[in-house]
Amino acid sequence: MGLTDFSSHKALLIEDMAEARIMQKKMLTDFGFQSIDIAMKAETAIDLLKTQSFDLILSDYNLGNGKDGQQLLEEVRHSKLIPNTATYLMVTAETSIEMVMGAIEFQPDGYITKPFSQALLQRRLGKLLEMKAKLKQVNIALDKKDFPKAIEEAYKVIEVHPSLEGKCHRVIGECYLEMKEYRQAKEIFASVLKNRKMPWAVFGEARACFYLNQLEQSESKFRQLMLDNRFFVSAYDWLAKIKIAQKDNAAAQAILIDAIERSPKNLLRQMELGKLSLIIKDYNTAELAFRRAVSLAKHSCYNTAEIYLNHLSTFAKLSEEAPLSSRQKETFQSTLKKIHQLFFDDPAVRAQTYSYETDIYLNSKDPNNAKNTLQLWIRDVETGIALAPTNQQNTHYKLVLEG
Amino acid sequence: MKKMDISTILASAIHESKNQVGTLLYQLQGLKEALPSNNANESKVTMIEESLKKLNDEWVEYLYLYRLASNGYELHVDTFLLDEFLDDQVFALLASANAKHLDLSYHCEKSLTGTFDERLMTAVVGTAVYNALRFAKSKIEIHASIEKNFLVISVEDDGQGFKATPEDEDTLNSNTGLGLYFAQLSANAHVCNEAEGYIKKEQSTSLGGAKLAIYLPQ
Repeated sequence: MGLTDFSSHKALLIEDMAEARIMQKKMLTDFGFQSIDIAMKAETAIDLLKTQSFDLILSDYNLGNGKDGQQLLEEVRHSKLIPNTATYLMVTAETSIEMVMGAIEFQPDGYITKPFSQALLQRRLGKLLEMKAKLKQVNIALDKKDFPKAIEEAYKVIEVHPSLEGKCHRVIGECYLEMKEYRQAKEIFASVLKNRKMPWAVFGEARACFYLNQLEQSESKFRQLMLDNRFFVSAYDWLAKIKIAQKDNAAAQAILIDAIERSPKNLLRQMELGKLSLIIKDYNTAELAFRRAVSLAKHSCYNTAEIYLNHLSTFAKLSEEAPLSSRQKETFQSTLKKIHQLFFDDPAVRAQTYSYETDIYLNSKDPNNAKNTLQLWIRDVETGIALAPTNQQNTHYKLVLEG
Repeated sequence: MKKMDISTILASAIHESKNQVGTLLYQLQGLKEALPSNNANESKVTMIEESLKKLNDEWVEYLYLYRLASNGYELHVDTFLLDEFLDDQVFALLASANAKHLDLSYHCEKSLTGTFDERLMTAVVGTAVYNALRFAKSKIEIHASIEKNFLVISVEDDGQGFKATPEDEDTLNSNTGLGLYFAQLSANAHVCNEAEGYIKKEQSTSLGGAKLAIYLPQ
């Protein structure tokens, strides 16, 4: 014990409670960590992770009012802000651990339950780092997205360390999914299931079935996962995909609304609901979903112009049906302002924004403002900071304004 | 006023208490570091720490017991190397055993693996060992092996054995009875290929005292 040399390791400690933070920082210092960065909430942690790399992330599940530790983990894993070679240890309480274990898709490398002693943390860390060391070549290949190499390395690890067989099979299955080798993926996950019903294997097989267009088989597996596992909300997203593939968009929308009730802070799911609602012309639901996505985007890894543009587009659609209420106009202006602040350097975003603005003024029978917006747009095109209106747009605007 | 379910109220009260125990443990750790080493009160501080740790583990047991009994526990199984799992258990409980001048050790094949819910089995082994601490004369052993399609984890001691305390049989009135009930529910929660887990109360053949064996289907 205590042989691991931590002095060259960089640690990030994420904890909102001052007392625990001081205690844990002291523990890490005692273990020999020389570089320890601290974040009191998830949003700060994301900013740190965007600019620096860490070997160890020690994060509490409860992080006050913002995102919780699991949401943080999902976001940084999904957007590859932390490499597979880094170690993520989650600190949980008895009440929160089920949400962490139930997440299946994005799990930390390990967890430790409060309260814990310094000796226990040291031991957990030592063992985790030992395990990560055994999987190092696999994780390096994964970080490079060299999936055939990762599979090869995973089989090598199984030979030397049979106890890591489960973890390696999971990696192999996921690699085949990434490589779109769905038959092999299904075979691997199914072989795991023969021995025991592991949730990650059911999840893997269900996805393989989806891609193999075995939709009914896939649905029954996702439903089984939902039944076993209250906190596995991702299953809803996949069920919605299945319904869309079966051309039942209304059912897909209902499933996503249900999922959002369970987990309202998931930005990507709000986006899915918004896009789907646009397709089925339910513009009120679309507006609400994109509005929530906009408010979640600020401190997120997914802060893209697309979210804001989608939100604006719902007002263009809504204004076709009925005049916008003063409340809707306010919301529109607020999102418009955010685009101006964040994304107006992008000529395509600028053009798209002008086009939605023009549409809304035209729909609201406000030709003066429509003309003003178009003038601004043309001026920006001339100075090269906005893309020009398409021919179709030009014809449309001419027709309405001059006709 | 709407009538509330008393067991739910108790469970959340236990949860609150458990959090306070956690805070006390943190504060005690700070105090320990502030004290000079080899001071006269060191053993007292250690005793308080061990007692708080035990209290925390007992609250955890009661919380799981509540969830198991009210069908609110979600089983999360994974495959573990028993050598590592039992090493963790002995590590966490060794200080309590040493404080009572008892030996605590584990024995299993190096390569033995098993599939089970780690948190639940941690609580079960902890409960069984705390119980054995009260009865053992000199030592407690944890064993793990495979019998047919079951992983067997047993906690044995060199005390008087179960037969000496017949009043504990089938009663929840004692600490031991409650612990056994918890072990039983935890074992029952493990189901694989229609086989259900169970417990056995036996006489330890090697140590002569009590033996609690938990059978988990694989």
